[in-house]
Amino acid sequence: MRAYVPDFDITVPDRLDDALKMLAEKPGFYRPLAGGTDLMVVFNAGHQIYKNFLSLHKFQELHGIHVTDEEVEIRALATYTDLRYHPILKAEFPMLCQAAAESGAGAIQNRGTIGGNIGNGSPAADTPPALAAYGAEIDLISKDGVRSLPFRNFQTGYKQMDLRPEELIRGVRLKRKSGRLHSYRKVGTRKAQAISKVCFAATVRLESGKIVEAGIAYGSVAPTVGCCEKLEQKLVGLSLAEASKLDPMEVKKLAGESISPIDDIRSSGEYRLKVAKNLAADFVSNLENLNV
Amino acid sequence: MGKYIGKEFSRVDGVAKVTGAAPYAAEFHVPGTAHGYLVMSRIAKGTITKIDTAAAEKSPGVVRVFTHKNTPKFAHPEKYKSFKALQSPEIVFNAQPIAVVVAETFEEARAAANLVEATYRREDPSTDFFGRVEEAEQAPDSPFSGKSVQTTGDAEQAMSSAEITFEAEYTIPAEHHNPMEPHAAVAYWKNGKLKIFDKSQDVYTVRSNLAAALGVPEDDVHVVSPYVGGAFGCSIRTNYYPFLTAMMARELKRPVKLVYTRRQMFTGHGYRPFTHQKIQLGAKKTGELISIIHEAANNTSTVEKWNDSTTRFTRHIYACPNMKTIQRLVKTDLPTPCAMRAPGAVSGMFALESALDELSYKLDMDPLELRLKNYAEVDPANGKPYSTKALRECYRRGAEKFGWDKRQPIPRSMREGNELIGYGMSTGIWYAFQQPATVKVVLKADGTAQLTSATSDIGPGTYTVMTIIAAEYLGIAPEKISFGLGDTQMPKAPVQGGSWTTASVGSAVHGAAMKLKSRLLSLAQKDKDSPLQGLGPDEVVLLDGRLQNRKQTSNGVSIVGILKAEGMDSMTEVHKETPSKIREDYQLLAHGAQFVEVRVDEQLGMVRVSRAVEATACGKIMNPKTSHSQEMGGVVWGIGMALTEHTEVDDRFGRIMNPSLADYHVPCCADVRKVDTDFIEEDDRVVNPLGVKGMGELGMVGIPAAISNAVYHATGKRIRHLPMTPDKVLKA
Ligand SMILES: Cc1cc2nc3c(=O)[nH]c(=O)nc-3n(C[C@H](O)[C@H](O)[C@H](O)COP(=O)(O)OP(=O)(O)OC[C@H]3O[C@@H](n4cnc5c(N)ncnc54)[C@H](O)[C@@H]3O)c2cc1C
Repeated sequence: MRAYVPDFDITVPDRLDDALKMLAEKPGFYRPLAGGTDLMVVFNAGHQIYKNFLSLHKFQELHGIHVTDEEVEIRALATYTDLRYHPILKAEFPMLCQAAAESGAGAIQNRGTIGGNIGNGSPAADTPPALAAYGAEIDLISKDGVRSLPFRNFQTGYKQMDLRPEELIRGVRLKRKSGRLHSYRKVGTRKAQAISKVCFAATVRLESGKIVEAGIAYGSVAPTVGCCEKLEQKLVGLSLAEASKLDPMEVKKLAGESISPIDDIRSSGEYRLKVAKNLAADFVSNLENLNV
Repeated sequence: MGKYIGKEFSRVDGVAKVTGAAPYAAEFHVPGTAHGYLVMSRIAKGTITKIDTAAAEKSPGVVRVFTHKNTPKFAHPEKYKSFKALQSPEIVFNAQPIAVVVAETFEEARAAANLVEATYRREDPSTDFFGRVEEAEQAPDSPFSGKSVQTTGDAEQAMSSAEITFEAEYTIPAEHHNPMEPHAAVAYWKNGKLKIFDKSQDVYTVRSNLAAALGVPEDDVHVVSPYVGGAFGCSIRTNYYPFLTAMMARELKRPVKLVYTRRQMFTGHGYRPFTHQKIQLGAKKTGELISIIHEAANNTSTVEKWNDSTTRFTRHIYACPNMKTIQRLVKTDLPTPCAMRAPGAVSGMFALESALDELSYKLDMDPLELRLKNYAEVDPANGKPYSTKALRECYRRGAEKFGWDKRQPIPRSMREGNELIGYGMSTGIWYAFQQPATVKVVLKADGTAQLTSATSDIGPGTYTVMTIIAAEYLGIAPEKISFGLGDTQMPKAPVQGGSWTTASVGSAVHGAAMKLKSRLLSLAQKDKDSPLQGLGPDEVVLLDGRLQNRKQTSNGVSIVGILKAEGMDSMTEVHKETPSKIREDYQLLAHGAQFVEVRVDEQLGMVRVSRAVEATACGKIMNPKTSHSQEMGGVVWGIGMALTEHTEVDDRFGRIMNPSLADYHVPCCADVRKVDTDFIEEDDRVVNPLGVKGMGELGMVGIPAAISNAVYHATGKRIRHLPMTPDKVLKA
């Protein structure tokens, strides 16, 4: 269907409560519209199946990045530009800033939101691997209140997620803890404006010289974000020196077990698998060189 | 350096462009315009058996739906053989236009376009060029590169007796120009006469083609194209859309606008063809080439034979006594290719300059030394002297700026962390063409001058350079000069292509100024007391608004004064400049040397061009600012060709899979690091009165080979198939 503008409708409620009621009354009827940078691409290509959009822009509850002593809460309408330049995120969750900085280019960064990046459900999205690696929690809001779950459990399959038709993504929360090391790598055909061939986000947290938490996740190499649980477990309890001496072949094997890359127009599955493993091995063997 | 020539000038049209004041084809608003939207075929080969337009016709706002059934036949197809739409039910490529829906608004036309239903008798398309290279047939000769088979000496015989031989095959996929501005036309008829706003590199050819196809005299067709948002060759030929737009406007008796979408641009004009090349080199152990055999094949369509002239420079670059070049074609069910920046040259030099690099390792010789060893002092194919050739100086200056002497000869010997570092170099070459061109100059008594010539400015800075040349030779400040182009009511100029515009139109501007100077001198000399009495035209010069004695500049008279004394408001000169005969006694070429550093991430197979140095010898540099931009653009184009650009075809359907800027990857700013461009000026009195050669295409010619050579030097892996994507680099 070529997009014919008069066939489409947009509603712009003033209040979140009203919007949540509308969603509950007609489940699946309205499509939430944030920055529109995913929705409008589909619209322009003539493949947009949704006809009725619900603009989220007026809802103050969905805007902003809120910091407490324990947490950073990023609300759904935070843009890439908001993430990229946020001082606390830069200091404590730099992989999100880097993901934002390497997404699209200026125009998209001013317009695109983290809620949209998550809500679009694409396995090639660039912030989800960082969210999964940091062990974020996601908050979903409906007229009945807020439901929270680990971000890792949110995606359930290719473009599938644990999001009910009457719910909106309210935001994500990240626990503030000291002692983290981070490594984020986006591999695309060119330096900007490229959809990832492979995206890699990895972090470990140290206490008294030992790794106490590890988060390692991939984008673009599985139907959902690919989390390397076995490799994460392998690292926990080791010192950086011990970890960096792990056999690279074993690291690659563990990393490869959690992903299932495919061939598409952007890359071959073979390339993705090889690069994904290389990135994990490189991360582990270089742990001692990463800055806290 | 003159008063203006050789100085840095910003673009005279720059402000208009960045403020939106410069209108592009689709931005000419004609009241009552109806909007067309193209419907494309879903098959690549076969026949339309039925086309149902009923639903589209009933859709809101629709004025008419044109298909092959109700579109008048274009006259004189023999005059211009390019593909023309809606002339028959036959399908010759995928995404061929099968209908145009015209409606009151663009949105209505687009929505209705989706309702047109076609039924086809489908045949299996054949688009797998590389699988069919064996079937290639000899190409027709080319007007620019000559015969499709050319020989010097006995290349086969020499090859069989060579001490060292090398042979390899190289491939390049189809690539699309992808200018920012989509192709567009707005057309209307008044009293049987057509006016059409078009995106074109060649308004006069559009005029003659439309006049022939629509059966009207050329004088009744007015083509206007003042600004072009990039073209790179894809607006040289008259594409099918201006024919359609003019036809629809006539049928509907109202203005019609047709704009390609980005997707439609992938089949709405030509492209750089798929190319397969085999190079054989024979050399002495000491490095002297004794034989070159270069065989190339490119794909063409089933309706035309496009010869991409891949081997065009092979016989003119190295001092080799025995050479043979062959150009072949393979028909495919794809649109006809067309010229794309440095057509043939960049493809051919990718293969030849890669092969030479490979030979240098076989000989254990520095790649630059190998090129110097085979430096041609006269043209190796025809024995003619070069009009000028500062290539040796380009090699020297480029190598020095780049730091070529720091290259470790053995591949994989330079590294920093995960990155392997490689150095590569190559030679660039292009013609010093000149075509006949006519310019009209109106010198006004208010001290200004208006110049017009129906050339084009697709981005190189033609408006600017013509203003500079006029200012220099008319002796009038640039601010007082206006230059108009892109309009068939202006004097005839050649297509903007071949890097010949400054040589052709610029020389005409110079010639016109010389004639005006002579006329002004005779007028001035009517005054018995004139300080210019007794002087010939060569002894006077136009400078600072005055005609003055070249040697004794205080002796002179003001231009305005001369005109006023004669009671003239203005003085007009129309001058046609044609290439001089003496050009025939020389080989006329522009050259360059390219040096590239790449960094290859070993874990990702990702190649980055971290540095490029380009030293170019192309005659005189009129405007260093825009000239550097041209060469820099050439480097960027070379990076795209080497690393990312690739039009991917699904051979099962003959369909292009990546017709968008999201999936067809041109380099972005972040992919371009340090680019250093430099010119070695040549004082060439042969090529044309200005001493300028072509440069717009030259800048990219050697870059893909230099990058490939650097990738080999970095990794020890030779990738002979462009683009060098990470998958290939990691796998090789
Ligand atoms: C040129 C270009 C470059 C791009 N580059 C990148 C890139 O490098 N990396 C990358 O990851 N992405 C990229 N994208 C994709 C896109 O910009 C991002 O996914 C962006 O984050 C989407 O956010 P949005 O606000 O624009 O989403 P929208 O288009 O408004 O929405 C996307 C989807 O999410 C749903 N949604 C939005 N907000 C909510 C919510 N609060 N609750 C529930 N559902 C919601 C919508 O209904 C829709 O299905 C690019 C897009 C373009 C056009």
